[in-house]
Amino acid sequence: MPSEKTEKNSSARRALRMASMSADIAGSYLGYLVQRAFLNETQSKTKLKSTHTRAARRMRDEMQALRGPAMKIGQTLSLQTGTLPDEVLEELTALQMEAPGMHPSLVRAQVKRSLGAEPEEIFKDFAPEPFAAASLGQVHRALTRQGERVAVKIQYPAIRQAIENDFSLFRTISKPAQASGHIPKAAIDEMEQQTLAETDYHREADNIEFLEKSLAPLAFVKVPRVYREYSSDVVLTMSLMSGQHLDKFLAHRPSQKLRNKLGSNLFELFYYQVLKLESFHADPHPGNYLFDNDGSISLVDFGCVKSLSPESVAYLRSVFLYPGSRESADFRRLLEKHYRLAGQSLPLETRRALIGFADNFYRMVYPPEENKQEQLFDFGDATFLQKFLRESRNLFRTKGVLTDLIYMGRTEMGLYQMLHRLKAQLPTSQLLRKYL
Amino acid sequence: MTTKKAAAKKKTTKRKGSRSATSTKRSTGRRAQNKAAIRKRIVAAALSLFQTKGFEATTTKAIARKAKIAEGTVFNYFRTKEDIALHFLEEEVDQAIASVRDNPSLKKAPLEEKLFTLVHSQLEYLAPYERFIGAAFIHALKPASPLGIFSHRAQELRHRYIGFVQELMDEALPKNRSPFTFLAPDVFWIYYLGALLYWLHDSTPGKQNTLAFLDRSLSIGISVLKQGKL
Repeated sequence: MPSEKTEKNSSARRALRMASMSADIAGSYLGYLVQRAFLNETQSKTKLKSTHTRAARRMRDEMQALRGPAMKIGQTLSLQTGTLPDEVLEELTALQMEAPGMHPSLVRAQVKRSLGAEPEEIFKDFAPEPFAAASLGQVHRALTRQGERVAVKIQYPAIRQAIENDFSLFRTISKPAQASGHIPKAAIDEMEQQTLAETDYHREADNIEFLEKSLAPLAFVKVPRVYREYSSDVVLTMSLMSGQHLDKFLAHRPSQKLRNKLGSNLFELFYYQVLKLESFHADPHPGNYLFDNDGSISLVDFGCVKSLSPESVAYLRSVFLYPGSRESADFRRLLEKHYRLAGQSLPLETRRALIGFADNFYRMVYPPEENKQEQLFDFGDATFLQKFLRESRNLFRTKGVLTDLIYMGRTEMGLYQMLHRLKAQLPTSQLLRKYL
Repeated sequence: MTTKKAAAKKKTTKRKGSRSATSTKRSTGRRAQNKAAIRKRIVAAALSLFQTKGFEATTTKAIARKAKIAEGTVFNYFRTKEDIALHFLEEEVDQAIASVRDNPSLKKAPLEEKLFTLVHSQLEYLAPYERFIGAAFIHALKPASPLGIFSHRAQELRHRYIGFVQELMDEALPKNRSPFTFLAPDVFWIYYLGALLYWLHDSTPGKQNTLAFLDRSLSIGISVLKQGKL
């Protein structure tokens, strides 16, 4: 097994590896397309599955070796539900919470270059080894001169250029997947824009301060404080948050009551942001949440905060818990109005998929009937997740989804995954109604 | 930083043995101190002129005026302005070696981190004189140049550098290496020149590309060395 160090590469090597990866993946997809002509339909299905899994595993191995920005693409892709087949997704989610490492001397050089002094000069105490990995860098514990415990997030140098390079390569290598509709071009554009935005820690500091202020009414949510004086575009110093990542938290076998409480808090946090703030913390991977035994949730990593247009929020309010038949002309008008306000026309296929989504998924998870308001929905049962995946895949295939709802869907998926792992049982409709 | 530099200086003087200032009487000690201060003043004056006026255009007369001493005094310390430049480069190498050798936190660090620190502290030292270094780089390519790779003194300096790299590599690499690994320290010298050139042409803010370049290239290089493939 090569050690961690051998996996890091110069941009030239990186390019080569990317290219070889592209050859392999293209090979397997093209191989599939050629073979398909000679196979009957059922065989074709199993063949597709194994082709996907092989491609996914290859992709993950390569990306882990590349580290750095490619990892970010992997992460983003893994959350781009509906645009990738389940098997590929499964493999790619394994990439979460991995990042390139910096040795203490590089950390020191990077901090000095950015803040003008070495971390040992700035802080009373600075841990040379990181305690957490962030996808574009790593996080160190430190103590300020005033004795406050902080987390210092440090970005790997020149990551922005590297991301730009990777994306141009990624565009080339994903041509087959783009052609087959598995990865829409718009999704790659959006991903690049978002990933690049996440390289700017000034922006992230703004996001934190925004959420700190606007989430204040939710007592169970904790948002760190930014230390602007020790922050820059590549260094972000914030107060150290307590709590555990979901995996660790669940390892202590928390009671159903506690899991319900946390689930309900996560659920409220999401809908409060979407419906009240009209913007939300949109990086839904579980590493960005810390859980405490008193049911409180700490947010960490604020690279991605998305806002929704007031029209989109009004639309969501009108379709959530829609009481009548979703096949009705009235429901159809709501959908059409939403697309009209966004300046787009609603394709027939997309309309069908949206109605299908509402009927097959939302009606099940969020029963609109008056007499079912207090009914608990059991997120422990995985069928709802499969339904969500299937319906969103159907929807994305029609290529008519409005962009601001792509992120909302991604975050919603992240929420459902966490609720599923918590095996939470929640009065979904009742909770949602609080914010409608 | 200043204490590090002082430590480096102490080491070099110690290595010179009999000429050591600390081993003789107090009065000569003070005189040596004075001499060191004047030497420092000359080097500082010369460097600021090299940086602003350019190496070619700078005369020893101008250096003396800038250092507020007689031109003749300059010659008591350095024969030519090339000598001054070489002295500066020697200091640069010495402080870089000291920054690795005298740093306790690097004792158990992996080889790539030590080499990173070595090259990075060289570049940090050179950073205020970037323009001059760029010119000197070209100048050094002339076969007759005293700064150049063929001059005796520059070779001595290179040997000191390569010797240190050799030490670091011997500590870290497995003993049963391929027969060509003995070339690795010399190859590292060429790598350093490449890194210097990369740094000179790096226009990213804070030269962050150089940091990434050093980190990534050293990681690959060392992993290749460890596998004994060189």
